[in-house]
Amino acid sequence: MAEAVSPTTSEKSKAPRIGVYICHCGTNIAGSVDISAVEEYARTLPNVAHVDNYQYMCSTPGQGKIEESIKEKGLTGVVVAACSPRLHEPTFRTATKEGGLNPFRFEMANIREQNSWVHMHDREGATEKAKDAIRIAVAKASLLEDLYPKSVPVEHAAMVVGAGVAGMQAALDLANAGIKTYLIEKAPTIGGRMSQLDKTFPTLDCSQCILTPKMVDVGRNENIELMVNSEVEEVEGYIGNFDVTIRRKASGVLSPKEAEARGIVGGGCTGCGDCVPVCPVTKPNPFEMGMAPRKAIYIYHPQVVPLLYTIDWDSCVKCGLCVEACGEKKAIDLEMQDELVKVKVGTVILATGYELFPIENKEEWGYKRYENVITSLEFERLICASGPTGGHLVRPSDGTTPMRIAFVLCAGSRDNTGIGKPYCSRFCCMYSLKHAHQIIEKIPGAVPYLFYMDIRSFGKAYEEFYYRIQDEGAKFIRGRVSNIQEDPKTKNLYVYAEDTLLGRPMELEVDMVVLAAAVQPTDLTNKTRKLFGVSCSQDGWLLEAHPKLNPCGTTTAGVYLAGACQGPKDIPDAVAQAEGAASAASIPIHKGEVELEPYYAMCIEEKCAGCGMCVNLCPYSALSLVEKDGRTVMQVTEAKCKGCGTCGGFCPGGAIWMNHFATPQILAQIDAFLIGGEQ
Amino acid sequence: MVTKNYPDPKLNEKLRDRYYRRDQSKPEFTKAVREISGTMAHMCYQCGTCTGGCPSAPRSTYRIREFMRRGVLGLDQEALTDPDLWLCTTCYSCTDRCPRDLAPTDVIMAMRNLAFRQDIIPVNFLKTVQAIYSSGHGVPNNDVNRAAREKLGLTRDPPTTHMYPEYIKGIQKILDHYNLKANADRIVKEREG
Repeated sequence: MAEAVSPTTSEKSKAPRIGVYICHCGTNIAGSVDISAVEEYARTLPNVAHVDNYQYMCSTPGQGKIEESIKEKGLTGVVVAACSPRLHEPTFRTATKEGGLNPFRFEMANIREQNSWVHMHDREGATEKAKDAIRIAVAKASLLEDLYPKSVPVEHAAMVVGAGVAGMQAALDLANAGIKTYLIEKAPTIGGRMSQLDKTFPTLDCSQCILTPKMVDVGRNENIELMVNSEVEEVEGYIGNFDVTIRRKASGVLSPKEAEARGIVGGGCTGCGDCVPVCPVTKPNPFEMGMAPRKAIYIYHPQVVPLLYTIDWDSCVKCGLCVEACGEKKAIDLEMQDELVKVKVGTVILATGYELFPIENKEEWGYKRYENVITSLEFERLICASGPTGGHLVRPSDGTTPMRIAFVLCAGSRDNTGIGKPYCSRFCCMYSLKHAHQIIEKIPGAVPYLFYMDIRSFGKAYEEFYYRIQDEGAKFIRGRVSNIQEDPKTKNLYVYAEDTLLGRPMELEVDMVVLAAAVQPTDLTNKTRKLFGVSCSQDGWLLEAHPKLNPCGTTTAGVYLAGACQGPKDIPDAVAQAEGAASAASIPIHKGEVELEPYYAMCIEEKCAGCGMCVNLCPYSALSLVEKDGRTVMQVTEAKCKGCGTCGGFCPGGAIWMNHFATPQILAQIDAFLIGGEQ
Repeated sequence: MVTKNYPDPKLNEKLRDRYYRRDQSKPEFTKAVREISGTMAHMCYQCGTCTGGCPSAPRSTYRIREFMRRGVLGLDQEALTDPDLWLCTTCYSCTDRCPRDLAPTDVIMAMRNLAFRQDIIPVNFLKTVQAIYSSGHGVPNNDVNRAAREKLGLTRDPPTTHMYPEYIKGIQKILDHYNLKANADRIVKEREG
């Protein structure tokens, strides 16, 4: 293969002089790698002009060694053999720069995560592998070139997808920091799951009472552009410059603003509700978990934001009675079409939330088979004063008040059968304690029985709440419910479990069973995350950039996570993460520009045949064909290119140069590995 | 371990040392149970779903969860000498419902296997072996059954070794391969003379 020459190198680089620094990482590396043997070996490698070792290369004295020796020995490249580049590449790049070299003249050899940690009991093998890793790194470092990151401007706007409590908090924080924020919600109102809850643990605040002020704030904030009935349709671009297409689904109802835009003066929906009584179609209200009726034109509940009615096209018969009732306001348009809106934002926060796992799949508990087996969310609506029964907990079978209520915790959580979810859903223990409290408070003489495996009351004041509820009279049975049977006459339920602390199987007749069902990501989460290039873990929750040190970020620059979309979270945790995500998302916007890693592809134009094969292969739409000096050649939009190398690996003419991962650099690494480098 | 040696053996038993100590755990027992049962027996988290739905538990002292715990801890003698080991009906309800996707029924079967290697087995199980050896059936047909079958319009004997006794030989060959019949005869003789 002909030697490729970098299009950026005009003059011949001077002979390489590489410095190699071996880190002990305390005993992390030195415990299973013979550092002095590796050091001796490194001295024998071609182009190596300096070798050193230190306890902790990442410490200030360790970095100082790099800076000093670059100057003293006139080095052209630096190799540090230590941990994963994910941890300390930025540290050592800075040290390389401080020493007077271009920071991209640095190469890291991972001899910890990929070596000493996995070969802890094979000192000899680990030492040999460390030698290989250093030889390979030196080969690449000898061919590294100066690179210069590009800066791109950042659009002074952000987007939050999902307007539950996390999304609302993130949007408010961004807006209050002076950033124009688009808040996208698929439902007709903001508020999310929290607005369905009656009370919140452990303080027993009324959920709506603490949420609605926030909803009002969101609705009124000048910097927030609220888009309900909306879904993300398409995403293009990169950090600083995301072009997002939003599908605004036809709600059939015009807001006063939209009415004005159509020339209807003083018109638009005022939320008066005159359209409701005339509507002939009745359907279950999803906000009430299907336990209360709504019309084909409806709002979820009286406190919705924005206060605009919505038409359910699946049930509307287009009779036109609502249009008549609306009269001069002319707010209803039965022919309304979906609208695609394009917005440009610098950063994006995903806050797509959770939903209940379909617990009827665990057949032994009889949900949807036995009328008096309900889910925890149905319980929330039944116990809520603004719910379908005005806050009177009743049995679905006969409307009577249940006096003995069993709670099945871990219903579908901590389940490895493939039907349920292997993870802990995290907040069911606490809300079940709260449910027990509500029963005791509202129904004199009623007894809640909590079937549990462990009570996980990990948060602030949570264990104290557990103490309080036990003291109030809730019964705790340490055993997972095996199965439930219904008495077909009374519709009472027999709960079977083992009281494992007693070592006896038990049969408990109750009036009602509440399943604390496992939670899972919402149905649109997977589609949305793919649009933004965000990964998810095996169980579907969105993947954070680092579980401990970067819990709000993702591996896609400029996209952040808030709330339960990243994993089951209670309200305090969801809000805290939302504030973290908002802070992280505002940083690039406030800086005004972001530096992109200079790992983009470049076209070696004299070799390019203009075949265009690469253009279609590029997953980021970064390549195009252009006319130059009468020839067709490929052109890279550097800011869009992520340096994945798909085009470079494919190009039949070898006309694509991948910065920092160029063909000669990679071939040198392979040669060093296969041939060895001892001299 | 502290021994008091009371003169009264009943008192001695009542006041014996009941601490669980680590040396009672045999990791090789856990491993053997896992291998024979083919289920991850060491992964039980003791939720009690198995016992909660066990048809045997409400009518006996059989607690499958306790056997799972003994399997996790490697308490071989406690598991193998407990007569409750033989009260499982192998209905597999626990296996259907175990949230850890384990097969507690197969753990019981593995423990029975290991117990039999030490000649720990109730005589009625051995008599079943003998019945299978002679007739091909654990519960051979009888006249009451034959009458009932006839009433239902069925043949007096089912189309098994009862109808085709020439195939009993094959069953005997299998049992002999594992020395099951010989062992059963020997143990029954030891116990019943």
